[in-house]
Amino acid sequence: MVEIYNDYKDHADFLTVYVREAHPTDEWQMKSNVKDDVCYAQPKTLVQRVAIANDFIKRFHYPIAFGIDDINNAANDAYSAWPERFYIIDESGRVAYRGGMGPFHYDPDEVRAWLAARYGAVKHDPPTPASPRPVASLSSRK
Amino acid sequence: MTFWKWTIAVFLVLLLAVFLVLSKMAGSPKDVYGMVRYALPHMHRGTLKIGDDAPDARLVALDGSDHFHIRERTGGRPLVLIFGSYT
Repeated sequence: MVEIYNDYKDHADFLTVYVREAHPTDEWQMKSNVKDDVCYAQPKTLVQRVAIANDFIKRFHYPIAFGIDDINNAANDAYSAWPERFYIIDESGRVAYRGGMGPFHYDPDEVRAWLAARYGAVKHDPPTPASPRPVASLSSRK
Repeated sequence: MTFWKWTIAVFLVLLLAVFLVLSKMAGSPKDVYGMVRYALPHMHRGTLKIGDDAPDARLVALDGSDHFHIRERTGGRPLVLIFGSYT
């Protein structure tokens, strides 16, 4: 997703909305998260959620604007977003694109196609990696 | 009696088939429990459609104290919303 951001940030705004954990240690933990040392319990407080979000940002130098869903999950509920999902809101404040539910229908290529249809195909060379490749759901795909 | 035996047999075969499909989707039989217990209750297709007003919600900044609304970020250029988490 960071690549799409880099390609289209001159044309569109991007906002990451950090929602409840998908695979915390006290729920459905994935082996891959253990391997990658991404082991967190489901936050019970906003302070805990903010702390995990900051760990993510620091580990991967994540460049996209960031907002954290409140612990009552208002943004998640409004957008039926969990565990991961894309939307595009147009200039008039209306839903212009609604991505499928992750993980099976989470498709960054559809977001790129929407942006390409409006602004033309853009593809910058990926930067030389200076840090480990992100493993999180937010940035592990394209 | 034969009818019920066949009904139960078919039911068990279907149950096994569902379990195998879920195991394939989730990764392993153990993951089936995780998916059914923790994931499916939180996954919702939602009712938002193309052309609907984008819902607003208050978000917290990374410092944990500042807040802003999604709506504050709309109106200028298209806004790509990326929902997700670390894990």
